[in-house]
Amino acid sequence: MDTAGSSESPIEPKKRNSKTPKKAKESVLKQKSPAEFFAENKNIAGFDNPGKSLYTTVRELVENCLDSAESISELPIIEVTIEEIGKIKFNSMIGLVDRERVDEALYDDFESVKAREKRLAKETRNQEIQAKNASLGKKTKEPSALKGIKGRGEASFFRVTCKDNGKGMAHDDIPNMFGRVLSGTKYGLKQTRGKFGLGAKMALIWSKMSTGLPIEISSSMKGQKYTTFCRLDIDIHRNIPHIHLHEKRDNKEQWHGAEIQVVIEGNWTTYRSKILHYMRQMAVITPYAQFLFRFVSDAVDKNVTIRFARRTDVMPPIPVETKYHPSAVDLLLIKRLIAETSKQNLLQFLQHEFINIGKSYAQRLIEEMGPDFSPKTAVKSLTSQQICLSPAGEYNLRLGIVKELHPDMVATYSGSAQVFEGHPFIVEAGVSLGGKDVKQGLNIFRFANRIPLLFEQGADVVTRTALKRINQGECFLVVSLTVSQCCEQTKKKRRDLAYNINLFQTSIQQCCVQLKSKIVKKIQAREQQERKRNLSKYIPDVTNAIHGILSDTAQQHAKKRRYVGEEAEVLKKVSAKVLTKEMLREELAKHVEQVDYEMALDYAMQSGVSEEPREAIYIQALEGGHNFTDLHSSVCVLRLFPTRLRVDSLFFLWSPLSKISLIL
Amino acid sequence: MEDKKKKRPRISDDEETQSIIPFKKRLKPDPEILSILKTLSQSLQSTSTSKPLTLSDLGLSSTCREVTDLDLSSVQQEIEKIVFQITKQILSGSGFSFEVPTRGSANQLYVPELDRIVLKSKNSTRPYANVSTVRKTAVTTRILQLVHQLCTKSIHVTKRDLFYTDVKLFQDQSQSDAVLDDVSCMLGCTRSSLNVIASEKGVVVGRLIFSDNGDIIDCTKMGMGGKAIPPNIDRVGDMQSDALFILLVEKDAAYMRLAEDRFYNRFPCIIITAKGQPDVATRLFLRKMKLELKLPVLALVDSDPYGLKILSVYGCGSKNMSYDSGNLTTPDIKWLGVRPSDLNKYKIPEQCRLPMSEQDIKTGKDMLEEDFVKKNPGWVEELSLMVKTKQKAEIQALSTFGFQYLSEVYLPLKLQQQDWL
Repeated sequence: MDTAGSSESPIEPKKRNSKTPKKAKESVLKQKSPAEFFAENKNIAGFDNPGKSLYTTVRELVENCLDSAESISELPIIEVTIEEIGKIKFNSMIGLVDRERVDEALYDDFESVKAREKRLAKETRNQEIQAKNASLGKKTKEPSALKGIKGRGEASFFRVTCKDNGKGMAHDDIPNMFGRVLSGTKYGLKQTRGKFGLGAKMALIWSKMSTGLPIEISSSMKGQKYTTFCRLDIDIHRNIPHIHLHEKRDNKEQWHGAEIQVVIEGNWTTYRSKILHYMRQMAVITPYAQFLFRFVSDAVDKNVTIRFARRTDVMPPIPVETKYHPSAVDLLLIKRLIAETSKQNLLQFLQHEFINIGKSYAQRLIEEMGPDFSPKTAVKSLTSQQICLSPAGEYNLRLGIVKELHPDMVATYSGSAQVFEGHPFIVEAGVSLGGKDVKQGLNIFRFANRIPLLFEQGADVVTRTALKRINQGECFLVVSLTVSQCCEQTKKKRRDLAYNINLFQTSIQQCCVQLKSKIVKKIQAREQQERKRNLSKYIPDVTNAIHGILSDTAQQHAKKRRYVGEEAEVLKKVSAKVLTKEMLREELAKHVEQVDYEMALDYAMQSGVSEEPREAIYIQALEGGHNFTDLHSSVCVLRLFPTRLRVDSLFFLWSPLSKISLIL
Repeated sequence: MEDKKKKRPRISDDEETQSIIPFKKRLKPDPEILSILKTLSQSLQSTSTSKPLTLSDLGLSSTCREVTDLDLSSVQQEIEKIVFQITKQILSGSGFSFEVPTRGSANQLYVPELDRIVLKSKNSTRPYANVSTVRKTAVTTRILQLVHQLCTKSIHVTKRDLFYTDVKLFQDQSQSDAVLDDVSCMLGCTRSSLNVIASEKGVVVGRLIFSDNGDIIDCTKMGMGGKAIPPNIDRVGDMQSDALFILLVEKDAAYMRLAEDRFYNRFPCIIITAKGQPDVATRLFLRKMKLELKLPVLALVDSDPYGLKILSVYGCGSKNMSYDSGNLTTPDIKWLGVRPSDLNKYKIPEQCRLPMSEQDIKTGKDMLEEDFVKKNPGWVEELSLMVKTKQKAEIQALSTFGFQYLSEVYLPLKLQQQDWL
């Protein structure tokens, strides 16, 4: 930035202007492009440092992929590859693109940073060798230098590639979709993961700032004969795409979707666990998607390949674009709607531009119009709105949890649609106990609109509610919030709303209620196993105590006869060591054995009768052959696909009375 | 005492102090207050000659259970009786079990005539060969043995001692303590009869002379902190006093203030506190004082649900120890302060009052349902006021008007107005 690149130079004085009002002369009215704004305030979008940027880039790309696939009701197949690029390779890459003269400034900037790094590294080394009292001029510089080294020292370069089987993009739209900040297809009142048309562009801005390499996109839409290949970067100052290459290529494989490749600076070592955690969370909330995550580097032992397999082909319905709910309307919005509407009169306007307002209702509203208008009446008739939401669904949530967390127990709950500030939302919760790789204590996965919530963990409403409710064990809590309009900021805001707390509370409570009965059963089963051990455990304590009292009494009895008859007889035996501890112990053990046997019989009889609640099972269909075999029995029909379905991997347990419906 | 009397008029002459300390003007001279107190204590001396009611008087002895003080040899004999029984059971190959009186809240009964909580006669069986009771049975057996040892050696130990004899089995002290109460119920004797005592907690100061294990103790000469209440009441005797009333204080801080100001010299009284929830020794001591000296008992507790609860434990007994309520409760305790109505009456500033938490309010509402609160309409009124205003205050809230406001103005005024319930 501090070099005299032609495009970047205007930024600097402007920045100084805003910060130092002393130079009043230069305060000319200037406009800033959105791209510039976001380039300067990267942290808004989660690009605070290289590590976080890598993380956010992966997130943004993956979420775009999911949105894209879901928008055409395709089961998402997503491949994410992070490839580490060594210094030498990277340098050669820069050499390769050297012909793209436009970015010269940025490369220079990068080089200079590198040079500075080297220089400062040298300085610190020198400083270590030398005594602490170096020259004063150096001393003022060094703290920042050290910091710089620490922050950038571990940073390296990565090529992030993300491929999906989604909708793809139209050939002509691609440059604008990537090269223009705040342009997008997801504006409007429709539930999508992305909202502002910022994610992919921010990745591009970051790549331009950190490496200067352009983004590469290849995409094809369903039924298109060609794929579009586009290499572009962004003119930050003017917020327009700068196209390097934009061409049509053959689409031999009938592929549709998009593949995006971007080279950025990042930090794998510190963000490794976060990225993997994110992928895992994604797999929980979207069990109908297939993820392939790879990390490739020169060091083979560091490579990671994880496949999150698909477990179901039931997808949440496509969210429908909705109109505004009357209670969400503010002055600005209504003015805009009035300007845009094609309707002739007020009646039609009300009827068509808002959700939940029928003709008669609109008429009544108009009659009532004026200060007496009460928004309350409108909020009441609200539930029919849920169609515009596409929550993960209880089934998918459950499946995701079972698939990824392998819990011992799981319970899920899905609330009914509610409204907040005019935006409909649904709360779904799942609680699971035990499982693989579970940290001790409470683990909370939070989702909003089916993407993991990452920031402010611990201070949000879910965590706070959960901590109040659940107190122990290795436990996973998955909460998914689905809202029609929602961004990171609003999510944060939501945490203080008492109303929401109640909703979260009820859903978590519902889960816990479900779990309770399961836990009771499990405890019974465990007691069953441990009963004998527990019962036998205290035999020595008890018999020692009893024998102790008896022998004490016997001693006293010897001095002063206090007992006659049966009791005296017992005491006599004790003093004569005919009645010993061991004898008592044996008798008691015998009794315990007998009781244990009886109880085991009891338990076996009881548990034989009980029946688990039934659930529909959806099994992913393999490619359709139609010659299947039906196995008929009196309770169900088992339809076997001879080609691919491996029956040996599926097993069902059922009591003779239960029914299984297989939907294949 | 002479000294105090001289000082007081001097202070009240001071115009400035008067204007600062509210209600000070309303105070009558001490002799007048004293005469009020004297008539109170005399009326008590003459009336309370009748013998207190017992369960059998009410025909409840069959449905309710009460324990008595037993001497060591009878305790020993009771234990041996049980042990012979279970030895026989074991040898016959049928395991063994204890019959333990249930001490749960469902088995408690408030008897309005007695004004205390008593234990009903329900028993529960505690068999060894049952997963849910095996542990408790083992602990019970062990406690029986330990108590038996105490009897044969005739020594006293504390509950803590008892716990440490077999930490591995008892795991934590609350378990051995609970079983100890079960054992006293089983054997039908008081806990003191088992020779197990709690460590000292309560303190007493003021116009009281008594003998502790033969030593004569004068509680006016015990320094500022007063005398620790002896853990076993049976060594306390020969109580003498010229006090006009007993002042029961909930908290240590208020107790310290009164002790340091030598409140008992201005108004002859005995001041006692258990520093929070009362232990058995303090309750026994208070009861003994009340019965032997026939003095009115006035209570100074916080204006919150727990203050009233503590008051009720002194008066009607706790549910945990209801089997021995006959020996532990002190009848006829008057609630002197700090009462919810005092907050406005004495114009306690808002910043000294605390809002009640949800838990507090719940406790307050629950207590309104309790019989021992309902029987006293004045208490119901005060508690309803507390729940309604949702405000509580500690005794220390009175320090807003000066640290000595409690001893110099508040209490004397209360006594003068006979403002107790």
